[in-house]
Amino acid sequence: MEDLSVVVSILYQFGTNGAFLLLCALGLIVILGMMNIINLAHGELMMMGAYTASLAYQAGFPFPIAVVISFFVVGVFGAVLERLVVRRFYGRELGALVVTWGISLLLSQGTFLVLGPFLPSIPIPGGAIDVGQYSLSVYWLILIAVSAGAVLGLAWLYNRTEFGLHARATMQNAEMARALGVNTDRVYMLTFSLGAGLAGFSGALLAPTASIMPFMGQQFVAPAFITVVVGGASNVIAGAVGSSVLLSLVRTPVGFYLGAFLGLVALLLAALVIIRLMPNGVSAYFQRWSDRRSRPTV
Amino acid sequence: MKRLFRLATGPEDIGRSPGFWGAFAVLILYLFASPLWLGEFEAYNISFYLLNLPLALGLCLLWGYCGVLSFGQVAYFGIAGYVYGIIAGNLVGTGWGPIAGELGGLAACVVVSAVFGYFVFYARVQAWIVPILTLVLTLLLETFLGQTAGYQWRVGNVQLGGYNGMTGIPSFQVGNLVFYGYAFYYFVLVAVVLCYFACRMVVNSHFGKVMLAIREDPLRAELLGYDIRARQLGVFVLASVLAGISGLFYVQWGNYITPSQVGLVSAALPVIWVAVGGRTSLLAVAISTYALNWVNYSLSSAGNQYALVIIGALLVIVMLFFPRGIVVMLAEAGFRGSLARLRAALRLG
Repeated sequence: MEDLSVVVSILYQFGTNGAFLLLCALGLIVILGMMNIINLAHGELMMMGAYTASLAYQAGFPFPIAVVISFFVVGVFGAVLERLVVRRFYGRELGALVVTWGISLLLSQGTFLVLGPFLPSIPIPGGAIDVGQYSLSVYWLILIAVSAGAVLGLAWLYNRTEFGLHARATMQNAEMARALGVNTDRVYMLTFSLGAGLAGFSGALLAPTASIMPFMGQQFVAPAFITVVVGGASNVIAGAVGSSVLLSLVRTPVGFYLGAFLGLVALLLAALVIIRLMPNGVSAYFQRWSDRRSRPTV
Repeated sequence: MKRLFRLATGPEDIGRSPGFWGAFAVLILYLFASPLWLGEFEAYNISFYLLNLPLALGLCLLWGYCGVLSFGQVAYFGIAGYVYGIIAGNLVGTGWGPIAGELGGLAACVVVSAVFGYFVFYARVQAWIVPILTLVLTLLLETFLGQTAGYQWRVGNVQLGGYNGMTGIPSFQVGNLVFYGYAFYYFVLVAVVLCYFACRMVVNSHFGKVMLAIREDPLRAELLGYDIRARQLGVFVLASVLAGISGLFYVQWGNYITPSQVGLVSAALPVIWVAVGGRTSLLAVAISTYALNWVNYSLSSAGNQYALVIIGALLVIVMLFFPRGIVVMLAEAGFRGSLARLRAALRLG
């Protein structure tokens, strides 16, 4: 029994770290995979999600509904952002980085000026369960399940729906997809909106675990970017999952023994070493492997 | 000498006519003479606008001429400043402490940027990864320096100081000559002018041509036999040294440095200076850096809670409407205008 509880506790630590990284990076990697654009305002979109959730929660909505509201509110905002600004930067990835950085500064400081330095936080739902001598937070267990669910949902969206088919076609060869009648403009807009919505969704889910401030997005920025850099853009789902599992394996022991900050440093060092070995990220590695497997044997 | 001048007037920057060089010489003379009528306080302010120029020029080389964008140039600014503070602070009263500090600060920049750059460039990563990782590096540096409050975080007798930063950093000194006030102004002015000419010579040299080739088409440059990884790494280290020079001047100017100097806002500033000026011209970047620092300094004394909004809005507006930079676009419009006037005059005559 004693051994079992240790195993459960270690799995829980890995799980929470992995879920955290996955939630941070999911929206970012969806946008990157499709348009080769890094959305530097990602942290601020997560902040918007947290703000929306907090406001909705204060207005009396139950927390799960507030999370869903955040998804749609930030998703719509993302669509507007894509129409007005981001679409002018397709094919100019460095320009897109700079302009989204400007947007992120505008959003965080604008929120500060309009809504003040903080919002009332959301209490963490669910209690704790005891396994042996360890106590596990029910909410984090739910988050692990939800992030797994989000990945499955994305897999379903990309592999089983018409939008997913069009999206994958556009990713592979936008010109060819356009020639075959796919409205790539619409695919881009919907993807950006989906990525923004996922950022809002993650922000809302992580809101109870953080203090809700205009600059809260910054704390998600470093882990999210490292996860995306390691994941790469070749295959959204493989990249997100592979990289968050890999990085969780690095961060959990270092963070546990040496503290949260060194855990983050270890993430950066791991990212540098991993991209030295796999320049296009985990996803390209996976993609090559699956391509080789699916090639018909002659 | 002639060869050096030819390098400086080569085709890779705006401003090559004799008229331009005349105006440039007048400007330099003006800057050298201005302490005659400026108060010491104003000279001190102008040294602050000037001391940011190497940082901006380095990013201009990296982004505009080599096609590698870095969001983390301020990391080297901070590294040089902190290392200088540690070394010079421990050698107070020796006379040569500040020089050792400067060398140590720049050496630290070279080592960090070379190691970081090796992993990034030799992996041949995609273009968007460099800005992301440099940004993460600088944010981590800020977090690290922010938690160094307390007595246990000291090197010799210098405390790192957490979020309050490192204070009492010695001014620059050679023997018994301490550089402050007018002397510091001249020190910065000479160094900045030298940095500008050095950058201009670099972009017009053979090395610079290869740099431009890499920006235009990395694959083609490589097929012509150039090791683009080594070249990119070289420019990255050079830019980090330039950023380090600015960091050294900064701590010598204000005698303090805080972790917010390597924070998100500070990291955004050089990108804005370069974007507003026009990343393909060193001169335009120098002009916009000076002007924006002056504006920012005046604004921040009026209350800076809008500073971030203004910076963000400026960045979005410039990227949307002046993608090649305001100064560069103005200069080209002026050039075309005078060309048209010349043609009209010829037609009349």
